[in-house]
Amino acid sequence: MNAIQVDHLRRVFTTNVGRFRRESKEVVAVDDVSFAVGDGELFGLLGPNGAGKTTTVKMLTTLLIPTSGSARVGGFDVEHESQKISSTIGFIFGGERGLYWRLSGIDNLRYFASLYHVEPAVAAKRIPYLLDLVGLKDRGNEKVEGYSRGMKQRLHIARALIHDPQILFLDEPTIGLDPVGARELRLVIRNLQAEKKTILLTTHYMFEADMLCQRIAVIDKGNIVALDTPEELKKLVLDLSVIEVEVFGVQDDLLEKIRKQKFVDNVSVENRDQRQILTVQTPRGSEAIPDLMAIFDGRRVGKVTSREPTLEDAYVRLVGGDA
Amino acid sequence: MTLKTIKAYARAVAITFEITLRQNFSDAFIIFAVIVQPMIIAILALWMLRDIGGDIGIFVIVGSGLTGLWSGLLFISGNSITGERWVGTLEGLVASPTPMAVIVFGKNLANVFQSLASMIASYIAVALLFDLRITIEQPWLFAASLLVTVVAFICFGLIMAGLFVINPAFAQFQNGLEFPIYILAGFLFPIAMLPGWTTPISYVLAPYWAAVALHGSATGSVPPAEIGFAWLMMLVFSLVYVLASGRIFRIVLRKARVDATLSMQ
Amino acid sequence: MLNTARINLRLFWDGAVLSYIALFRWLRPSTYIASKVFGPLVYMLFFVLLGRYATGSSDASFFVIGNAIQMCAWSGIYGITMSITGDHWDGTLPYVFGAPANRLIVFLGRAFIHVIDGYLGVVLGFFWGITLLGLDLSQTSLPALALVVLITTISTSGLGMLLGCLSLMTRNVMFVNNTVFFGLLLFAGANVDVATFPGWMQSISYALPLTRGIQAGRAIVAGADLSQVSGLLSTEFLFGLIYIALGYVLFRWFEKQAKRRGTLEAV
Ligand SMILES: Nc1ncnc2c1ncn2[C@@H]1O[C@H](COP(=O)(O)OP(=O)(O)OP(=O)(O)O)[C@@H](O)[C@H]1O
Ligand SMILES: [Mg+2]
Repeated sequence: MNAIQVDHLRRVFTTNVGRFRRESKEVVAVDDVSFAVGDGELFGLLGPNGAGKTTTVKMLTTLLIPTSGSARVGGFDVEHESQKISSTIGFIFGGERGLYWRLSGIDNLRYFASLYHVEPAVAAKRIPYLLDLVGLKDRGNEKVEGYSRGMKQRLHIARALIHDPQILFLDEPTIGLDPVGARELRLVIRNLQAEKKTILLTTHYMFEADMLCQRIAVIDKGNIVALDTPEELKKLVLDLSVIEVEVFGVQDDLLEKIRKQKFVDNVSVENRDQRQILTVQTPRGSEAIPDLMAIFDGRRVGKVTSREPTLEDAYVRLVGGDA
Repeated sequence: MTLKTIKAYARAVAITFEITLRQNFSDAFIIFAVIVQPMIIAILALWMLRDIGGDIGIFVIVGSGLTGLWSGLLFISGNSITGERWVGTLEGLVASPTPMAVIVFGKNLANVFQSLASMIASYIAVALLFDLRITIEQPWLFAASLLVTVVAFICFGLIMAGLFVINPAFAQFQNGLEFPIYILAGFLFPIAMLPGWTTPISYVLAPYWAAVALHGSATGSVPPAEIGFAWLMMLVFSLVYVLASGRIFRIVLRKARVDATLSMQ
Repeated sequence: MLNTARINLRLFWDGAVLSYIALFRWLRPSTYIASKVFGPLVYMLFFVLLGRYATGSSDASFFVIGNAIQMCAWSGIYGITMSITGDHWDGTLPYVFGAPANRLIVFLGRAFIHVIDGYLGVVLGFFWGITLLGLDLSQTSLPALALVVLITTISTSGLGMLLGCLSLMTRNVMFVNNTVFFGLLLFAGANVDVATFPGWMQSISYALPLTRGIQAGRAIVAGADLSQVSGLLSTEFLFGLIYIALGYVLFRWFEKQAKRRGTLEAV
């Protein structure tokens, strides 16, 4: 049996627009999504902002009812058997909310332990263990309102693990963590995986997905556009190589011009301090550099490099250039 | 339900009680509703009513205390669910294996318990400012009435929390429900002052019966049999509220999962 | 010169309208009416009934007049404080401070709509009094009553402005508001004769706005003419001005402090 089984899941939101006259507008957050996550698998959900990742996770954690389609978690239906699912799953949604700020970290954990029916004796051992795990050992007695963003995020992780759930949903777990904290958390996730937990992870960090996930689904505009192992996904761009050009200010018309070149498959721009990095995917590899430079036509450029494609390039190819 | 589940629920109620109390202690709004406002009402009412004489001291204390109990119920217990939504903890609670009704019960237990402070606050205000004889005529009946009142208020709070979630404009409804109940339940003046058509409304309000039992036992103006009847009414209502609340919670939570209102965008 | 006047007028008007819309944008029209029309009626009913119970008399005009005039405290206290602190919560205060606008005009603009709103509230209170609670205005000079209400509304709003500025320095705006509102209910004498208070309570009463306005209102309803209450009225007005001035000074002080410490956003 698959730990998570998703069949043609769809979710439409109706929102009110307009301040005085209330009109409603429909947003298709998840269009038609199907996938399955095996027992003990670490599965990644990847996609740009607004792709429908959080919405999917909310449906799977029984917090949202699907508009149509169905999903089973731990063998139970997310719509009708939510009570049965509750004790087998743990979840976190990136962000600071969802904790009692006027209570200490320990009290927050005590509270959720009790709501999750963890025996007091078990909780008494588990709380210090978890605080240590997420690096809050010394701060557990302080009120959460005094925590930094990242500390709150860590407490969320401890909270999600309090009842030692078999299935975990982690929506952008490393958001807001400093690099060291993020690395520690990835280690924690690795260990959970070693304990044979089933984990569904969403993230914007490609290397994170590459490093952790056994399989990855790329979701865009509510639909899955690719689903495979990181290695297979990388093969999508094996025919291409990547040229990175450091530029100083780039106009839209220039971008458009590059995009229109026959030898260019995809272009994306990333801001870095005063510079931008233009990432150009092309089947011609470094041979294309002279042609590319011709388009720049004497404009100031910095370093130009060519490299092998990564998962990120595969991702960019799948969801377009604005990642 | 197995014994193990019952034990788990009991523990959940206990810790919810503890956590709620501790959070409320630093909440200025709650302090106002259950201490400052009843105190001011007590002083004002006693200043107005002091010429009536007799047991007016204890009458005003009990009546003002009841206003605090009601305001606390309305604004604190009424927000049991919506408040969690504001701080973003509702999703975590809903997804836990403990039913929402159990959690809200624990919260209401804390809220109503702490709203009893309104009685003490009223007492202090009256005792400090006025030189009046303040005695409870039938202390045992009064204590028992207080207990039944607490039960009835907790149960009333259960459905209120659910109903306020259904109505998006709950805040306005809340404000609009505070004083009408002061009036209709006869907290500080008898409902005989009101036009006859309102009497049936009073009869279906648990706070009205609470006022009958508490005023009656405090001033000794009501025969024990009638106080017993008021208890019976409160307990019947409590049962109805509890049964209804299970259903209301199911509807409310399902609706929230459909409308995506468990969390705020 | 004319241009400056026009700019200031716009500033005043924009501030007024925007602060009002901002305050109520989250209300539906039906709940707006409920909160503005029936909320005050219920408060009034409670105290008038309590008054009837206290006096054993069905003539409740003492309480009706007191509570009708007390209506101006709804907008005067809650409305104005919220419109001043509202900015604070939305994080838009820096824009108000940053604009080269005349501070006094911004300040008064925020209060203006609430004075009108409060005035209408009192009118509504008298309307309920006449239609539901047997208030008799046949002896009353209506223009004189209108003037009493206007002055009282302004002075009570003055207290609101002071509170609003105080609230910029506390997180517990509602606690302060509620306490002052209920304090007025007790001390301003809407339901009790202030003369029966012990001395220390009377000193509080007479340091507050509203107290004299309610007394003047009762006299006018009973048939007095304006000259008989001119002393009460002018003192009431003076108190209003003092509170407004204090509020304004505090507002400027807060602005200066906030800019110096860079705490426009956080208290
Ligand atoms: N409660 C809601 N009401 C209305 N629209 C919503 C709601 N929740 C999400 N949406 C919309 O649904 C779409 C998908 O949102 P979702 O949060 O699932 O995206 P996401 O993939 O998690 O994005 P991100 O990477 O930014 O977290 C977006 O267009 C969003 O605006
Ligand atoms: Mg998301």
